Amino acid sequence: MTAHTAAGKLQGLAEDAPWYEAAFVTGITNALNVVADGLADVLPPLDDATAGDATAVFAEIRAFHAGLVPAPFGALARDPAYLADVWAAWRRAFSDQRLTRRLKTALAFAVSLTTRSSFGTRFHLAELRRLGVGERGVMEVIGVTQMFSSYTKIADTLQLDSDMGAIAPVDRSPAPGH
Amino acid sequence: MPTVRLRDADEYPDATRKMFELSSQWFAYDFKQPPAMSRVMAWDPEFGAPHGRAMKRAMGPGEFTRAEKEMVAAVVSGVNACSY
Repeated sequence: MTAHTAAGKLQGLAEDAPWYEAAFVTGITNALNVVADGLADVLPPLDDATAGDATAVFAEIRAFHAGLVPAPFGALARDPAYLADVWAAWRRAFSDQRLTRRLKTALAFAVSLTTRSSFGTRFHLAELRRLGVGERGVMEVIGVTQMFSSYTKIADTLQLDSDMGAIAPVDRSPAPGH
Repeated sequence: MPTVRLRDADEYPDATRKMFELSSQWFAYDFKQPPAMSRVMAWDPEFGAPHGRAMKRAMGPGEFTRAEKEMVAAVVSGVNACSY
């Protein structure tokens, strides 16, 4: 991981802000995938007729996801306040900031593919296409995911120490809002 | 601590050392010693060379930039819990 963060910084993503955003996307993607894949067969998603107070959140989700409420959000609707907070974090993570929603979706697809999440792989692949990424772009993300699923295992098998962290430029800017 | 002894660049044959020059160009960085992964992949050029070409093909600019792809690689490494 250190090598690619360093390489990415040398390739122009020198500031820390995009990397914070990438980390948040990675975390919340995995969080939703865990619920989606783990609960798919045992806890069906609620819908507008059964979700009660969560229907307002469903409306926000639909507005963000082209009319769709992804199944894990439907499952979380059993606790509307919890759903609202998870949704708010998700929306923030995937919104255009320093990184585009398009790239964030590519990251989420890569995370889902790497972790063998059936839900995440299907959902984020559909989102990538909806956001205009073509088959070539999809194949690019698959290629990077596959190749670095190889390099990481070679590194781990030989227990290589990271030796590239120091080559990246350091972002000395203060925390946001400081 | 690596489970193998990583050879220094000057322990490799001349032809293999050319791979290290490509590594510096790839990272746009003048390494004192090639990165550990480059030295590992140079151990068997018949494996490392095609693996490296596939990687470079995947990482080359297309619909996504090289920098964006480095970020994809970083999150893949992250969820694989690989610190390297």
